[in-house]
Amino acid sequence: MDPLAAILETFFQECEEQLAELESGLLAMEGGDTDPETINAVFRAVHSIKGGAGAFSLESLIRFAHVFETALDEMRSGRLAPSGEVLKSMLRAADVLADLVRAAQAKEEGEHPNAAILVEELKAMSGAAGDADESEEDWGDFEFKPTAVAFETPEAPETPAGAAGFKVTFKPRADLYAKANEAALLLRELGRLGAIEVELNAHDVPPLHEMDPEAAYLSWTITVTGDADETAVREVFEWVDGDCELTIEPLGDAPQADAGEAPFDLSALLARVQGDSPAMAAPEPDAPVAFEPIPEPPAPAPVVVAAPAPIAAANETALDGPAAAAARKTEAGATIRVDLDRVDRLIDLVGELVINQAVLAQRVMEAGLARASAVAMGLDELEQLTREIQDSVMAIRAQPVKSVFQRMPRLVREVAAMTGKPVRLVTEGEGTEVDKTVIERLADPLTHMIRNAIDHGLESPEKRAVAGKPAEGVVRLSAAHRSGRIVIEVSDDGAGINRERVKSIAIEKGLISAEATLSDEEVDNLIFMPGFSTASEVSDISGRGVGMDVVRRSIQALGGRITITSRPGKGSTFTMSLPLTLAVLDGMVVSVQGQTLVAPITAIVETLQPKPADVHSLGGHARVISIRGGFVPLIDVGMALGYRREPLPASQGVALLIEGEGGARAALLVDAIQGQRQVVIKSLEANYRQVPGVAAATILGDGRVALILDIDTIVAVSRGEMRKAG
Amino acid sequence: MNQIVSQSGQNHAGGMRELISFRIGAQEFCVDIMAIREIRGWTAATALPQSPSFVRGVINLRGAVLPIVDLASRLGFESTEANDRNVIIVAQIGEQVVGLLVDAVSDILTITDDMIQPTPDVASETAKTFVRGLIPMEGRMISLIGLERVLPDLELEAA
Repeated sequence: MDPLAAILETFFQECEEQLAELESGLLAMEGGDTDPETINAVFRAVHSIKGGAGAFSLESLIRFAHVFETALDEMRSGRLAPSGEVLKSMLRAADVLADLVRAAQAKEEGEHPNAAILVEELKAMSGAAGDADESEEDWGDFEFKPTAVAFETPEAPETPAGAAGFKVTFKPRADLYAKANEAALLLRELGRLGAIEVELNAHDVPPLHEMDPEAAYLSWTITVTGDADETAVREVFEWVDGDCELTIEPLGDAPQADAGEAPFDLSALLARVQGDSPAMAAPEPDAPVAFEPIPEPPAPAPVVVAAPAPIAAANETALDGPAAAAARKTEAGATIRVDLDRVDRLIDLVGELVINQAVLAQRVMEAGLARASAVAMGLDELEQLTREIQDSVMAIRAQPVKSVFQRMPRLVREVAAMTGKPVRLVTEGEGTEVDKTVIERLADPLTHMIRNAIDHGLESPEKRAVAGKPAEGVVRLSAAHRSGRIVIEVSDDGAGINRERVKSIAIEKGLISAEATLSDEEVDNLIFMPGFSTASEVSDISGRGVGMDVVRRSIQALGGRITITSRPGKGSTFTMSLPLTLAVLDGMVVSVQGQTLVAPITAIVETLQPKPADVHSLGGHARVISIRGGFVPLIDVGMALGYRREPLPASQGVALLIEGEGGARAALLVDAIQGQRQVVIKSLEANYRQVPGVAAATILGDGRVALILDIDTIVAVSRGEMRKAG
Repeated sequence: MNQIVSQSGQNHAGGMRELISFRIGAQEFCVDIMAIREIRGWTAATALPQSPSFVRGVINLRGAVLPIVDLASRLGFESTEANDRNVIIVAQIGEQVVGLLVDAVSDILTITDDMIQPTPDVASETAKTFVRGLIPMEGRMISLIGLERVLPDLELEAA
């Protein structure tokens, strides 16, 4: 990857974080959070995106972010009240911004359909509050429009004679701008320390034809009065240390002469810049501080014009400066970015270490060493260490579910708008951590379930009113760790499952027979049957032919289970239980015809010793076993995988009662059960290809490869064969 | 012609190339040394269901699952009676790593491209699929084989 592409990649990664910050901040404000820091965080997020976009010339992103930022700035300064309506627009703007970032990442061209509308809304907001000139500014080409230069020196605060303070002279070098710092922000930050008086020294600005667009020409003299000490002043410039010329003198020591001098003559500068007159290039006589001329320093040109405008805002004392906040943020958690491949490699290696350790332990046992021997004890310690290493390494790849959860508020907004149902999303346990591989595959099923909860679960506001419920429906999304798994629940406070209708649809579609008597729970779980959809009319939101059976399948593919509980009139809850990682699996180790196989424990309901009387032949090799009055197919795993030609007499084996895809039950006949163990999943496809009936492979304590059964395929294949036989 | 030839063409100036030769029964074969990762002794493989007879199963190669192809069987000879004297040649084929079960590795040959004679037009499909040329060497004949088609072809199997 070339360096620029790498930086761009990092920028988009950061954008994701900023967008998350933005959305959570806006949501917090919508929930009544009035902490200025929240507003600042929101502003910072948009500002950083704009800054980054500027560096990469992502025009549409810059334009939108700029308008957004302007509106947020109005809110930040208290001129725009964060009312519900405003925040709703801002949330929509955040969605558009996210889309624009993604479009930029995908290098897509074209306008966002909602961008123009929101630009108008945002402009209306900020326009109502303040001078919206800036938002009109075309960031695509830098015109030197006199209007944009609101060069008024802030109403000069009267500097009390002898008051504590500093005179700061600040001349940015081009590097400062090149590093995406902005002088105006620093000045604004200074303004937080006390009353400031800012004087621009623009004498070094050359005539236009000599101007280097990337050079830095401006410098400032700032008089800070107030209680701030020199350290505080210095801290403001901490970030640009080395990229500017900076002198800080206590007011008492320095002659006060310049402080009261007439403000810089803007019209002269403009005349010079616009008139392009070399004669005017000579330094103005009122240059307050002499700077060493910097030989041709490059800096972005727009600063020349754009920087002074925010100075007017420098006196706003209520602000919590971005620099200070950024500093706090850095302290909060030191993190590094690591290429995921490296982490994956580490996880693989640790997996091998665990296997090797197990091999070694087995060898030592075979050698007949006493448990109390030094070697055995050393091995025990080694085992503990490897376990700990494994846990820690897995923790590196673990991520809070927040990254998936935070996509949901937007979805809820969109679906709520489409269905016309007011919805509030409540999330809990966002910090619950789970392996990245699991997180990546959670988004789709969760999206579907939440859509479903709003579209089918919640009633219309009218019906809710009749039922005496508040008009706003509540969808709750929660995550928690429970006995080594992660449990995610999606619940709604809607009408619950209409069991009569579910049953009649199931009968109509031939999923169950009309005479079947089903428990409430069984009826509820019918919605997971393939080809089941309760929506009477196909709606735009959930009636896309993707039913809950797809959700169930994708959850099962993750080694998870999903169940539903529903109470009429109170709502429904979908509960998913998932493994914390896809790298390891809890398995039942079994032997079949001399081969060692692993069956995923999640699929196993119980194990039993078949009695000859319970097993009935249906002709051919097809057999069923009666379990508590019901019949389930008995599948000989050795036969299914082609390890043997003649079925094992049922009484000589052990049956695993399993529940496969769609809740279908079957009994798998194996020769013997060896035990239960956590195994590291290894891909067969990496060096070979997919094998029917085999989900993956693993390496056991003896160093040999064992295959992990793909129970659903085995059941499906056997079912097909049974049909042929019958 | 094939990937291996072009690869070694880049790596060896003047058309020189190194080959590893090995025995299957009485026959001698060779493959380009650039494709070979390592050579190791035989370990019992875990059988794979629903696989062609020439796929002996999979073994653990330092944590990776490695399929073992019985090259004799793959080339249409009687399948190898695997024992401790057999060796597994670990070869890189495209993105995949595959173990080739052979009787013994015999030599490393350095040859020039002009020593390779084209395969005579024979009826055998196997020869057409795998044999890339013949190399006469001290009165023996060594077949240069290409490895791209060693693993079963998924689409062909399904058809």
